[in-house]
This record gives sequence, C-alpha cells and structure tokens, in this order.
Amino acid sequence: MSERFSDDSDEVLGRRLASELPRYTAPARLRAAIAETAVPQPARPVWVTAALSACATALALVLAFLPLLPRLLPTDPAERLVRSVVAEHERALMWGARRTAIIPAALPWLTQESGIGLTRVFVGDDRLTFVGAEPVYLDGRRGIALYYRDADGHLVTYAVLPAPGLPLPERRRVQIDRFRPALLHDSGFSTWVWRQGDLACFLVADMVSEADLERFRDYFVRVRTATEPVPVY
Amino acid sequence: MAADDFQRLALEHLDALYNFAIYLTRNPPEADDLVQETYLRAFRFAHRFQAGTHLRAWLFQILRNTFLTFYRLREREGAIADDGVPDWDVPMFHDAPEASASAMEAHTDLERALSRLPVEFRTVLLLAEVEGMPLEEVARVMSCPVGTVKSRIFRAKERLRGLLADYDKG
Repeated sequence: MSERFSDDSDEVLGRRLASELPRYTAPARLRAAIAETAVPQPARPVWVTAALSACATALALVLAFLPLLPRLLPTDPAERLVRSVVAEHERALMWGARRTAIIPAALPWLTQESGIGLTRVFVGDDRLTFVGAEPVYLDGRRGIALYYRDADGHLVTYAVLPAPGLPLPERRRVQIDRFRPALLHDSGFSTWVWRQGDLACFLVADMVSEADLERFRDYFVRVRTATEPVPVY
Repeated sequence: MAADDFQRLALEHLDALYNFAIYLTRNPPEADDLVQETYLRAFRFAHRFQAGTHLRAWLFQILRNTFLTFYRLREREGAIADDGVPDWDVPMFHDAPEASASAMEAHTDLERALSRLPVEFRTVLLLAEVEGMPLEEVARVMSCPVGTVKSRIFRAKERLRGLLADYDKG
C-alpha cells in the first residue's frame, strides 16, 4: 500500500484526490444563516425617508439659528433689568464705550442726555481706574453708565436707571456694612443691585469666584459710598 | 440578473465552497465564517458580477481572497501543531463518507499530506482535481496565468507524492 502512494502518476494522484478525499457539506445552520442574509431587507416606505429628511433639516435650522433666538425674559423686574445691564456691560467689554466722557467735565451733558444727575461721583482710586461714562438706553429707560477697570483688568460697569419701587429679591440680599444690596448672576456675570430713591443702581463685573466676589464686595462699597445719583427730570 | 436569481444560483455552490473552505482553513468554525463572509461579499457586490461569466469561479475567487486576507495571517500565528497537523484533524473525519478501514487510513494520510502543502499548492489541487475546474477557471480564481497553474499543479503533486512517501516509510 505504501508503494502505491509514492508511485502514483500525476493522473492517478489527481483521480485519488477527487475520489478519496472526503467532501464536506455545509451544515444546515450555515445554509440557513446565509439564506437569511440573502433575504432583501424590506424597502423603507418613501414617507419615512421624507419625514426623516424633514426632521433633519428642521433640526439643522434650529441649531443654526439657536444663537439668534431671543432668550426668555425673566419675570422678575430686577432680574430683567440686570439682564439689560449685563448686556450693556458685555457690549462695553467687546466694543468699549461708544463715547467716553471725562468726569466731571461731562456731567452736565450726561445729565441732559440721561435725566440722571450725579451730585457725587466715584472717579476712581488705587484699586479702580475710571475708564469713561456715557448715557445708555436700557429696557426702555434712559440711564447712565460709568466704566472702571481694576488692577487685574476686570471691567466694572456702574449703571443707574430710573426704576421707582423696583422690588429686590429678598433672598439675594447681602449685608455689606450698612448697605443691603442684592447679588444676582446672569450670563456668567455678577451684579450688585440696590436702590437709591427712585433709581436702581447696578454694579456688574465678571467676578464670580469666592475670592473675586470678596473684592467685588469691596468695589461695591467704594462706588456706593462715593456716588450719589439723583433723578433730574 | 435579478437579485433573487443571483442569490439562488450562488447558493447552489454552497457545498463546494464549504468543502474548499474546510481544506483551506482546516477548522470547521473558521470555514463557517469564511463561507458566510464570502456570501456576504458576493451579495453586497452582486452588481459587479458580469452575467454570462462563471459564477462558480467568481465565488471561489472571493472565498480565496477573503481567506488570504483574514485567515492566512492567523495560520501563521501558530494554529498548526508541531507536526503540521492541526488539532482538530481527527474530528474532521466524522462527517466523511463511510469507507473501509484501509480507505480511512489512506484518507488520513492523503489529507494530512494535503494539509502540509503550501496554501497555493493546496488551492490549485483542490480547484483543479477536487472541484474539477478547467485550468482557465482555476487561473481566474488564483489571478494568475494558465501556465502558472499548470506549473503549480505539477509541483504540488510532486510535493504531495514526497509527503505520502514519508508517511509510507514512517
């Protein structure tokens, strides 16, 4: 038998390969699995494709225009005014004061434009440098804004708007010396809000950390004690 | 060719492809995977098949290419025992047709000798001798000239004879 193998001619060896090698048939489960993959998936109805396309388009449009959509206004009047003042502060941060004025030479002009007079005004010190002042128009009210910059480069905006009887959120009020302003936060900015007669006063800065707030508290005292706004008209 | 027709015709070659895959991989689970992958590719690229050409050769070509891509590397990583015979060698015969004790022994040696051939030699023998493909079709499957196929068949048989002679002496 041994000799038989080694002496096979090419032709004989070929025949032996064809006839003696066992043939293996595909298992039934393999046949079934392949047949299953061969079954064409049911075509997706046309309306599903159209609906998906419409949804995707709508989503893309919403995402594209989301930054342009107006934000919901807060219902609390103090918070609404804070949002306006913060927006003004942001504008000043990005573009600077529209028309800077030098205190006290510009006070008569500021009073005429804003309807608010400053009998005393904080013109800066070793911590805060006066940057400029200008009349503003926020939330349908004429007012005045003064800008300062501290030693670390933080822009601090002091704004005054007429707001007779503006309620301050009690739970946000903080006792600082003899004052009790409210501390509000909006868009990543901190704002001190207080009333002086019929005027609402705001002090805004991007100071939110605990250490920054401690300094911001000090800025409030400096501005509050040295500034006296009064309605003129 | 309609998809249904194509799939039906392709499935007619399932057993032949499975047999080929068994001798290539020498491992039934891997043969299953190889055949399944072959059909997946064939169905996916059915549009590339030119009607009127040999579907069988096309399918074998896909299987061989898939094997070379995915399985040959693994084979190099040491799936074969020291003597060149894979561990699953014995179970492989469970599905074999019944035969006499002598024939079984011959089958064993023949299969063992075949499994020890380089893949290119084994492939050419399986296609030409076991599947009975014309040389032109084998050349297409192996993407080489007919002359190369002839030469490989000759050398493969020579090597196979040598291996069988070694078994005889042992």
